[in-house]
Amino acid sequence: MGRSKRMLDELDADIREHIERETQDNIERGMTPEEAHYAAVRKFGNVTRVKEETRDVWRVVWLDELWQDIRYGLRMLRKSSAFAAVAVLTLALGIGANTAIFSLIDAVMLRSLPVEKPSELVVLRWSARKAPRINGYMSSGDCPSNLRYGAANPSGCSFSEPIFREVRNTNQFSGVAAFANAGPLALTGNGPASMISGQLVSGDFFHTLGLKAAAGRVLEMSDDSPTATPVAVLNYGYWQSSFGGAQNAVGRTIELNGAAFTIVGVVEQRFTGITPGSDYDVWLPLAAGSRISNPRMWDNREEKVTYWWLTILGRLKAEAPMLQAQAAISGMFRNEVLHGSISLFEAGAGMPGPPEPRGGGVPASRQVVMGGPPPAGARAVPPPPGGPQGSTVVQGAAPPAARGQGAARIQAPFPPVAQGQAPLDAAPDAPNEPRTLSKPDDEPTVTLVNAQTGLTGARGRFANPLYVLMFAVGIILLTACSNVAGLMLARAAARQKEMALRLALGAGRMRIVRQLLTESLLLAASGGILGILFALWGSHAIISFVANNQPRPLTFATGLDLRVLGFTVAISLFTGILFGLAPAFRSVRVDVTPRLKEGFSASTKISRGVGGRFSIGNALVVTQMALAIVVLVGAGLLVRTLQNLRSIDVGFDSHNLVIFGINPSLAGYQDAQIDSFYRDLQGRLTETPGVKSASYSMVPLLSGALMATMFNWPGTPQDRELESDVLEVGSNFFSTMQIPFVAGRGFTASDYEIAASAASRSAPPAVPTPVIVDQAFVAKFLGKENPLGKRFGQSAASQDGPASPGYEIIGVVRDTKYSDLRRETSPMMYVPQTMQGASFEVRTASDPQALVPAIRRTVAQINPNLPLRDVTTESQQIDRLLFQERLVARLSGLFGLLALALACIGLYGLLAYDVTRRTREIGIRSALGAQRGDVLRLVVKQGLWLALVGAAAGIGAALGVTRYLKAMLYDVSAYDPFTIVVVSALLVLVALVACLIPARRATNVDPMVALRYE
Amino acid sequence: MSTKEERERIELLQGTLDLLILRTLLLGPAHGHAIAKAIEFNSDEVLQVEQGSLYPALHRLIKRRWIAAEEGTSENNRRAKFYRLTRAGRKQLKVETSKWDKLAGAIARILRPAE
Repeated sequence: MGRSKRMLDELDADIREHIERETQDNIERGMTPEEAHYAAVRKFGNVTRVKEETRDVWRVVWLDELWQDIRYGLRMLRKSSAFAAVAVLTLALGIGANTAIFSLIDAVMLRSLPVEKPSELVVLRWSARKAPRINGYMSSGDCPSNLRYGAANPSGCSFSEPIFREVRNTNQFSGVAAFANAGPLALTGNGPASMISGQLVSGDFFHTLGLKAAAGRVLEMSDDSPTATPVAVLNYGYWQSSFGGAQNAVGRTIELNGAAFTIVGVVEQRFTGITPGSDYDVWLPLAAGSRISNPRMWDNREEKVTYWWLTILGRLKAEAPMLQAQAAISGMFRNEVLHGSISLFEAGAGMPGPPEPRGGGVPASRQVVMGGPPPAGARAVPPPPGGPQGSTVVQGAAPPAARGQGAARIQAPFPPVAQGQAPLDAAPDAPNEPRTLSKPDDEPTVTLVNAQTGLTGARGRFANPLYVLMFAVGIILLTACSNVAGLMLARAAARQKEMALRLALGAGRMRIVRQLLTESLLLAASGGILGILFALWGSHAIISFVANNQPRPLTFATGLDLRVLGFTVAISLFTGILFGLAPAFRSVRVDVTPRLKEGFSASTKISRGVGGRFSIGNALVVTQMALAIVVLVGAGLLVRTLQNLRSIDVGFDSHNLVIFGINPSLAGYQDAQIDSFYRDLQGRLTETPGVKSASYSMVPLLSGALMATMFNWPGTPQDRELESDVLEVGSNFFSTMQIPFVAGRGFTASDYEIAASAASRSAPPAVPTPVIVDQAFVAKFLGKENPLGKRFGQSAASQDGPASPGYEIIGVVRDTKYSDLRRETSPMMYVPQTMQGASFEVRTASDPQALVPAIRRTVAQINPNLPLRDVTTESQQIDRLLFQERLVARLSGLFGLLALALACIGLYGLLAYDVTRRTREIGIRSALGAQRGDVLRLVVKQGLWLALVGAAAGIGAALGVTRYLKAMLYDVSAYDPFTIVVVSALLVLVALVACLIPARRATNVDPMVALRYE
Repeated sequence: MSTKEERERIELLQGTLDLLILRTLLLGPAHGHAIAKAIEFNSDEVLQVEQGSLYPALHRLIKRRWIAAEEGTSENNRRAKFYRLTRAGRKQLKVETSKWDKLAGAIARILRPAE
């Protein structure tokens, strides 16, 4: 519109110019200047009118009309403020619920990574037909991996450090970085000892991500060397909270797990961690990893191709296409893992069909060699350390407590996978290239995944519940829309005369539709603004609920950004049009003449079309009822799931139990000292007033953590391995947890000595390790056989380690739930604890929370520099475990009730309007002898009929939808008849109440008044 | 005194002014006063343009992008705004002219059926 502005600004000058020229002409024709000017002005005409007409040329007519519509609309809404209030509130609830849930989805799933040009950043992901033969695999839960012993088609994002160096050497990226979880860090040197979270990152991490320092500097390549001074970079928020944002924090020295680190800088504020939802307090160079880790856990992994623990990021070069880089990296990776110093995959492993013709027709011979001598050309995998059998698979939150990392998963040490070895010398015709035996798609490959989608982190856990909730609030919005549409229809009926008059006076139909749409958009806009307020409050409440139920604070930035606001504006517009359009078009479809003739009482005529059986109003109410049923059924199923999970028998007494983690090795305790520390602490805790007993275990029960072990069963082939859950426990564990013995006895001091000697590799164990198993173990492996004294898990000396006498069952206890509530109770063995990290369980006489300070004091008496972590109670822990179920059940229940309320308000509105409209009819009926009961039945029957039709339609729709909930349900069918019946009964009951109010009003109609009303 | 009083004057039909402006500008860019004069002169002063009504018409044509305005200096070195025909305007002129021819022909046939 700049053109019009310029033209109009110059208009005065143009006109003046014109008149001057005319004057000049006139003077040349011989007039006096005065005469000439006068004549010129006269000839020009009315200057003001000319200007106005010119301005009109540019005026945007629709904008003026819009303003007119808005003012008129506001006036109409003010006039019927009750209607406006109900409509705006309904819409605000609908829009607010949607905005709240969408803002969560936005925060969790849609925000881009807080780095420079995130679209260029890729994460490397390997996949293969079979698991690699490696000793250690560690993933910090940044991206999903499905590496499980024996699982087909495994994939993951962790690589060995040599591979990382090779990736850097391929020069396919403009920058490469690697990172890994640093494990638990005990910080001293800045106030009282505390546990913080840290990430090990390569020296080029921050440069690759394009991040700057807020103070000091970020890490450099030179920091990432074993000989460099150990340095640390702080998180901005952590710097603020723990160092008060002091500039002199840079340069200070802190101790992490007893090793000194110099703080060199603070990374810029926007970056709290590369993976959404998991952030870190400090970043340390990869080379410092061995300083902060237990040597046994660390296992010299820097140089090992068999220890996969680094997630690798690459920044794509602007000019190089991604597929080219991927091909290069994949080729390098395949070459390294197949033909490197140690071959980690079998060439041809998992090959199902006949070999390629190029293989020379060699039969796909597969020789299983487990524990036998390695075939020619294949190198033995070094025996994995730790554990009596050396094959403990740890899943979930793991040994030194990566707990709190949410999806943290450590599977280490990994059992050597030696089956499927194809001896090359068995194929005489085979060329020297082993890979010719395999098809290309058998082989390990690397794909480059955009970091935004690849680094899912905690997102994965929230995706499902969020989508379910989004669906529920979507339905709420539809209900709200149809509710308001019903209100608008009723109003449109009342305004028919106004519309007829306006049409008769020559208003265009489209003009009136536009006017009515403006009114509905005004309603929607008001609803949207109020909805944003609801949403701000709601999403805040949800986030704090989520955060309170996480072991570590979740740091999803929420709040309104442009995307959320855009979403709200879009749905407000959409709803405004949706509920406004139909009534608007209906209004202008009036036949002008009869409406005008009828006068104001036109609508009191008996049974005119509007009240017909299948009127839009009825259809809207039925729709609302049906939608409410869908949300209610879903909510009902989720609530039942939560109830089922809550009422599960966990197998032990979860009340009055304090649990906390402690790891004395982080404060420098060594092997034997650790054991005596635990005994000492256990003794002191037991003596603390209010404590009934205390024990410890490797991980607490029902914390999400799970460990499993593989063993051989006597009498079965040596290569067949069985799997059982395993938990290392301290003395008095069963009495403290109140897990009853079914047979046998608990662990004694001598049992612990046997376990300790089995764990230390220096002295090969002579006697089997005593174990206590659960009933599921007995049922699965022993059947009717007497479990006590049964020995299993023996193995001969092999490349995996020395001969092992295995285990001996000394007791049987009741089944308990281990990692979480949903998992079936499985075979489980308890072994005497010999590992370093432990969680203490303290059984209290009364409120466990009250005893926490006393417990802290007891620990501090032994060593004030030992930080406790995850101090909580077992019930809180179960709540945390169930937080997703609680969140979804609560919110969907709330939304279900909201949908029900909206539907019933809709029903009430329709009936109330109907009763008003039919006042005369009811009056006549009463005058002709209808009893109050008849009148009551008349109205209630209509309402109930609508509710029943709606409920039936809703049940049909719900049956089609609830199967998508299946994955979230527990012990309840997606078509649970109980839920459906209860929910439908609830709906009909509430609908009945909604009917009764207008019905009672109908019975109060005085026939005399009603008949005179006309 | 002025020509208006001396001769019989013909009021312009609505929309005709636009056509005349376009036709006038076909000869080359001109400023507002010159356009008014040209229309009067070329019609033997039969057509009287109320000069002020020229401006809404000019603006209307600019809005439709049939003509464009640009600054320039006139013969005696004074500031003037020149209007010039655009490509779209040239096309429009052809359309309008043929429409006018048809209209004029039709009216003529009705008024003088004998001829």
